[in-house]
Amino acid sequence: MDCGLLQAMAEEDEEINVYNEETFGMDLDTHGTTEVPNNGLLQFGELPSPPPPPPPPTPPLDPKPPSRHSSPSPPRQRPQYFPRAPPGQRGRGRGQRGGLGRGQMFEDPAVVRIVQGRPSIKVMHIYSLCEFRQLSSAARLHFDVFLVFKGLDSAIVDCGNAMYQNSFEDDMHSFTVPGSPINLRQPLTPRQHYNQVYTKMDQTCSDALKPIVNVLAKNSVDLLVSVVTNDTGGFMFPMNRPCPSTPQSLTPKMMQLRFGANSPRPSPFYSPSSNSVQHFRKPEGWDPYCNLMTAKEKEWITRLQMIQLQSEHPYLEDYYYQEYYRRIEAKMAEEELGIRGKREPPKLTTPYIMKSDSYTPVVHIEGSLGQVAVSTCYSPRRAISAVNAVQAQCPLEVIVFLRHLASRKCINLPDTDTDTHFHITGTKRHQTTALFIVLLEVEETERMKTTVLSEEEERRLMEKTQKKVEHIYSQLQHHDPLDSGGEFLPFLLVSKGKRLVARLLPFLKHDTALKILRIVTCNLPTLMSRDTEEALPVLYPSLRNVIGGLTFSQLIGLIKDLTFESLTTSESLTLACQNKFGLSLLYALLSQGEKLLSSGVPLEPSIGDFETWTDTIFQVAGQLSQCSLVEPLLLPSNLLTLFCRYLDKRTLHQLKSNME
Amino acid sequence: MNYVPGTASLIDDIDKKHLVLLRDGRTLIGYLRSIDQFANLVFHQTVERIHVGKKFGDIPRGIFIVRGENVVLLGEIDVDKPCDTLLQQVSIEEILEEQRLQQQAKQETEKVKMQVLKDRGLSIPKADNLDEY
Repeated sequence: MDCGLLQAMAEEDEEINVYNEETFGMDLDTHGTTEVPNNGLLQFGELPSPPPPPPPPTPPLDPKPPSRHSSPSPPRQRPQYFPRAPPGQRGRGRGQRGGLGRGQMFEDPAVVRIVQGRPSIKVMHIYSLCEFRQLSSAARLHFDVFLVFKGLDSAIVDCGNAMYQNSFEDDMHSFTVPGSPINLRQPLTPRQHYNQVYTKMDQTCSDALKPIVNVLAKNSVDLLVSVVTNDTGGFMFPMNRPCPSTPQSLTPKMMQLRFGANSPRPSPFYSPSSNSVQHFRKPEGWDPYCNLMTAKEKEWITRLQMIQLQSEHPYLEDYYYQEYYRRIEAKMAEEELGIRGKREPPKLTTPYIMKSDSYTPVVHIEGSLGQVAVSTCYSPRRAISAVNAVQAQCPLEVIVFLRHLASRKCINLPDTDTDTHFHITGTKRHQTTALFIVLLEVEETERMKTTVLSEEEERRLMEKTQKKVEHIYSQLQHHDPLDSGGEFLPFLLVSKGKRLVARLLPFLKHDTALKILRIVTCNLPTLMSRDTEEALPVLYPSLRNVIGGLTFSQLIGLIKDLTFESLTTSESLTLACQNKFGLSLLYALLSQGEKLLSSGVPLEPSIGDFETWTDTIFQVAGQLSQCSLVEPLLLPSNLLTLFCRYLDKRTLHQLKSNME
Repeated sequence: MNYVPGTASLIDDIDKKHLVLLRDGRTLIGYLRSIDQFANLVFHQTVERIHVGKKFGDIPRGIFIVRGENVVLLGEIDVDKPCDTLLQQVSIEEILEEQRLQQQAKQETEKVKMQVLKDRGLSIPKADNLDEY
């Protein structure tokens, strides 16, 4: 009796297996391996057209499958619960799969195929093994996770297959004997699951399924996940949904199932390779793989990049972006002059890090011989640089002397690219560049002064600045005896040098600045003639400021230099008239003189000053009225009043017309 | 939405179809799924496209991770634009064969050139070696 019962049970189970394999295709294929064909997804209503070869160990069951088909057995009736697709479509699904054998499907996971299947409702089984174990018994009985997809053009998201592959075997701890009572504490294979579900379902659970059926019948669009179970059923693959902001988080188990050999088959619909042939268009916003990169990750990367961008000296370190942004702002401001509510161009807001007032980048313990062992991002160890060490110890004069010797090739100095103080090259341009860098530091320090709070800091910064300024000045002054020309002149002949001097002048004391001014006026003809790049005007503003601080005698001295040096008076004056800078300088000088004279401050002139002054006025006036004048950089307002006092009406008139 | 206005960022290119040219000369087309700060790229449904003359062939490659330093250029592909009708798509075997022939022809001309130069006492180092220095 028992034997018979057992046998009957075994038979029944085998039948069920066969049924399952037929329906769901989990049978031995022509290739002899257990493979799941493309329609491993449940597609109810579709029967495999060729009856699959029966499993070898059950020859007596040969006649069974057909009989089961014909018998009103529960599994066969199941399909009727689900609305069928229009006949045309169903047939189409079948037919268009032609050419792709089942075996081909799984040779290469990366190979992508175009498959058309049932368009309307696709039902897929998804479940996560680990979740399954947690489900209650009742839930399991009713357990069926349906994902109802919106009917879309001919696409199958071929996702369900993965679960049927090997990974599940790994997870199997035990294999419940088919036919045994449902052991809910043990994990089940998909087959067993189906066994149980569908046998039970038809027997007892049809009521429970009705809600599902109704929903399906309505062809709902939304995701319908485990209607009767809890919602923890994990998703095996990215869903068909309009891209949400974050995908579900995956447990490691799910990750296993998701990637590698078990990865869900990519939808052939989206294959780039198919585009050229079929001109497929992906429906708007429908991409099951979208948002693999979460918003959090994107933000992380952005933040990382932003941190690298932040700095305290934006114009120094990120000049091009700052310039670009400034231009955009200017353009927008221009455009919206009339429009209210100026919209600002999107600002690059870097994450702001609070920095301490005194930030010592390199931690150095006084009196220690070595460096700190531990370095952090904010206090790195200083890289060893022998040259810097030399610089730190030697006074500036020694360095200058060493450089001098090096330029004469008496000694060799280490030549490092990074240390500009020791950059040894012969040309003035290179030297100027080196000095420029120092000047930039000076200017930066000046700017920083406004942000510095403590007096101590300010003093320290002042000292630093002074030192650097002196250094630059001495560099400019120091010249190679082989060079022709006096101090400063070689630098002034180069346009970069002119710019350097112009920017240095505000930092110099009056006497030193005066010295430079003298040199400029003395060598004005040379400067003007050799100024091919028209860089002289950059000197004008700074020099004007210096002139503004001149005393009368100093001024007279300068005028004398201007008019009597090198060339004859008239010639030099003519030249000056022809040159923008020269003319402007002349005007500035005259204007200063006029200012001094009319201000009423005691002038303390030296002997002969006034004569020189009046002589110059007449000379200049005569010259200006005769030759053609260029447009000066700035026309001081008190010039005409000056001339009024000294000249007669006629000359004055001529002068006036000429100057305008 | 550009998180970092006024700058260029790959974040806007995520989930879009791109064409990338690698330093070794390969052309990959795929959906850009993920990036990182080094511009390492993760491509999905990648296809390697080989061009020989007016023909091209696509080899499906699946998922590709490209190290950022190997990218020459990267550009988005407009899926709506009609495909180029000048180029003719052929099968993989055919395009590989064409490529092989092309390489062969190239090698032969190169050989001849080197021989000619050698006869004249000149030598030009090969470009692929230079890259290592």
